[in-house]
Amino acid sequence: MKVVRRNLVPDGPGSVKMIPEESDDLWLAYNLVCEGDTVMAVTVRKVLREMASGGRDAERVKLKLEIKVGAVDYDKEGSVLRIRGKNILENEYVKIGAFHTLEIELHRPFVLRKDFWDSLALDVLHQASDPAASADLAVVLMQEGLAHLFLIGKSVTITRSRIETSIPRKHGPAIAGYESALNKFFENVLQAFLKHVDFNVVRCAVIASSGFTKDQFHRHLLLEAERRQLRSIIENKSRILLVHTTSGYKHSLREVLDAPNVMTLIKDTKAAQEVRALKDFFDMLSNEPARACYGPKHVEVAHERMAVQTLLITDDLFRNANVETRKQYVNLVSSVKDSGGTVHIFSSMHVSGEQLAQLTGIAAILRFPLPDLEDIEM
Amino acid sequence: MPRKVNYGVDYDEVYGDYEDYFDDSDIESDAGEVPEVEQDLIKPGTWRCSICTYDNDESMPFCDICEVFREPSSICNNGNNRTAPFKFDCPSPDDLVSRGKQSSKAVSKGALVSITEKNGSVRTVPITGRQEYSSPLASGRQLPANETTRTSSEDNLHSLTNSLSMNLEVNSERSRNVTTRRAASPAQYKPEAWMLSDNEEGSKNQLNLAIVGHVDSGKSTLSGKLLHLVGRISQKEMHKYEKEAKLKGKGSFAYAWVLDESAEERERGITMTVAVAYFDSKKYHVVVLDSPGHKDFVPNMISGATQADAAILVIDASTGAFEAGMDSNGGQTKEHAQLIRSFGVDQIIVAVNKMDAVEYSKERFELIKQQLGMFLRSCGFKDSSMLWIPLSTIENQNLVAAASDGRLSSWYRGPYLLDAIDSLHPPVRDVSKPLLLPICDVIKSHSLGQVAVSGKLEAGALRSGLKVLVMPSGELATVRSLERDSQSCTAARAGDNVAVSLQGIDGGNVMAGGVLCHPDFPVAVATHLELKVLTLEAAMPILIGSQVEFHVHHAKKAARVVRILSLLDQKTGKVTKRAPRCLTAKQSAVIEVVLGEAVCIREFSDCRALGRVFLRASGRTIAVGIVTRIIE
Repeated sequence: MKVVRRNLVPDGPGSVKMIPEESDDLWLAYNLVCEGDTVMAVTVRKVLREMASGGRDAERVKLKLEIKVGAVDYDKEGSVLRIRGKNILENEYVKIGAFHTLEIELHRPFVLRKDFWDSLALDVLHQASDPAASADLAVVLMQEGLAHLFLIGKSVTITRSRIETSIPRKHGPAIAGYESALNKFFENVLQAFLKHVDFNVVRCAVIASSGFTKDQFHRHLLLEAERRQLRSIIENKSRILLVHTTSGYKHSLREVLDAPNVMTLIKDTKAAQEVRALKDFFDMLSNEPARACYGPKHVEVAHERMAVQTLLITDDLFRNANVETRKQYVNLVSSVKDSGGTVHIFSSMHVSGEQLAQLTGIAAILRFPLPDLEDIEM
Repeated sequence: MPRKVNYGVDYDEVYGDYEDYFDDSDIESDAGEVPEVEQDLIKPGTWRCSICTYDNDESMPFCDICEVFREPSSICNNGNNRTAPFKFDCPSPDDLVSRGKQSSKAVSKGALVSITEKNGSVRTVPITGRQEYSSPLASGRQLPANETTRTSSEDNLHSLTNSLSMNLEVNSERSRNVTTRRAASPAQYKPEAWMLSDNEEGSKNQLNLAIVGHVDSGKSTLSGKLLHLVGRISQKEMHKYEKEAKLKGKGSFAYAWVLDESAEERERGITMTVAVAYFDSKKYHVVVLDSPGHKDFVPNMISGATQADAAILVIDASTGAFEAGMDSNGGQTKEHAQLIRSFGVDQIIVAVNKMDAVEYSKERFELIKQQLGMFLRSCGFKDSSMLWIPLSTIENQNLVAAASDGRLSSWYRGPYLLDAIDSLHPPVRDVSKPLLLPICDVIKSHSLGQVAVSGKLEAGALRSGLKVLVMPSGELATVRSLERDSQSCTAARAGDNVAVSLQGIDGGNVMAGGVLCHPDFPVAVATHLELKVLTLEAAMPILIGSQVEFHVHHAKKAARVVRILSLLDQKTGKVTKRAPRCLTAKQSAVIEVVLGEAVCIREFSDCRALGRVFLRASGRTIAVGIVTRIIE
């Protein structure tokens, strides 16, 4: 994301002009824009005009609107950010107070004006303008009969495709059926792979599976590439890694990110850090349950006793909440940081973030055990 | 240390509780009373033929119109005897059944009118003379008394049971007239004459035998060798396999190649999916389910072994290999034994293979027997249902004939493997319940045509020409033909492993993991379930939101734990804690899960095979359980 102009006061009002460059940036914008802010962008609106002959003509006009945000929608699959709200800028075609939906697209600038730029928003902004390396992994996670294709970005994991077929067990006479069904399955996965994986954008591709499906697919991939002269695969042969997981379901994505050869590539990125932090939490929960807790109430209580060492929180909580709750969470985050703890803000679009969200969205690893938390009702 | 200490979780206690839960209070009414269901609809002195529904005179032994013999129905007094299946202090349902059969000739195992029917629509009661049933366990001990009264009041029995069957008939007819998809209560299901098996004929029972064990213990080789010795594989075929195997450099796998047929399996020298093979022993038609031993393929093993009635656990006796198998982190011996137990299999043959590598040493055998025996006992296997057989597959010792090698025969006096298989008890079959066939596989073969499914019939019976309902898609199809062991057959009953070819349905609607059922008694399809589970010892903590893999019969789906309702005490089954934060190893609890996609499911009390679930995560089985309630 390119930040063109920023004039704001920390913890005060201000405006920022930005140009999103990739779908990840749209996600960051989604985190920034809240109800009550104003967004100004160039957009297209269908305008009804009275013609001289009396007929009404609908014309699509490009105009610059400023909208007071009422609701924000993020479409993950389509990578589109929609902002709905009332118009507040004087315009010849659109009255003040008329509803409009702005679509924030890539490579088009927009201006965000906020009344209150709190520390979190500033963090996000900082992250956005940081040209740090993005994770950008393409992962094919499969098991026999089921395959998922994921694109893991800096803060977003998108499921690009899901393929499921029924492959018959090898059965005495029908052994040929098994082979042909398997080949058809691999063919489908290959098509999806070619369509969605662009080696210019993606750093490497990982093929992960339980059992030996990954080796079979890898072999099939290379053979087909040779046969059909698919340059993109032949050139990037070295950038395809093989990882073993325990299943082909989405939650096994964690194991992919944990694998040593993948870890070396993405170790400084957000996704890897999140996975590690969550893994620590689960380890703590299984070894010493009194030193780990989850749920807003429990974490609050733990924090009051200055027990929180690592705070794990999803960005979901900030986004949807009203101003009061948001302020509360922001305070929690800053006070944990002040007392020397670490805070990990999980992107809820990643697998680990989804898992944390299932777990109420907020969890903490404590400095010392607090066994009486068990008795407090959640 | 005292010998009888429980070293692990006592499964029978856990599962026993499940049974008790459902048995509690339904058996309050006096036995011997004719059911309170409307009797007045039946004209006195007549019986209704189940095929043509014609009211015949009492005196007629067969129907006037269709010449079918009168229903030989009676209620097995085991109907309400839901003795906790793994509490072995009272006679098992198998024993009761076989004793019951011996006492009265015309008793069929069917017509199981379930007392514990949750709907409670037909509160029928077993008619065995004037008996008081105080509790499920107590009734088991009263059985000898039952038998004598039963034989004496045979006539009484028949007339009463016939009136009972007529009641059921009427109810089921009425229900059938209403919209087709409404599930009538299973108690109203009337098995047709051809379905109730002709056990007296002398035809052999089918026995589904699962072969499990740690990787490379010799399971496929054992199965292959057994098939060869029994005569299923001709010498010529064997030669062919040997030659091919040697060519590939896998000479020692020649016997395993009988079962591992795909190129991938042969190349790697492992079994990846369950292979099915048939052979006949003296007493049974044995269906061999050779399972994979690899950690990664446990889901396939679950899908295959769900059909099993008994199991052979193969152990590698060579030094180091046994220990590796018993290791809880990497070894599959324990995991397989636990899974087998939770399938409800209570008879297990432990085949200690590769004895030639340890020179047939008795000490080694005893050591293995002691260590493994301890573990199996803690799983819930009874000592009397465990058989220990030392053998060596490559030297052909103790397989189909008594040991010839001096070193083995000097100290071993027990049965050989084939004998042991014959000595297993026949399993009890639910022939009289509505049809249920969980689809294991969808296959296309020449003799079967386009759409064919295979699986083991869990309940009811099947014949060509019948209409069946394919769930979860909900489509109707007709059975074109049945095939068992590559030979077509006319009818198949519960317990048979068959391939069914279907007509009138698109191949895309049928998937492995679905269920074929009777059109009037559809099986429930749900995503939100309540389960009672027992976490295993290697389990990681389960929290709300934990993502697991859900296995039930042949279906596997991704699932999420949404609520942990309560923790249960393993001994008593009482709730010890409400809404705990997480579940750790070896705990019994009630949880709710939401599945990614809908799955065909039945409550455990309705149907055992469709109510057993397994939860796996990160490559390990973390919990086994049963479905207590289908929420949505």
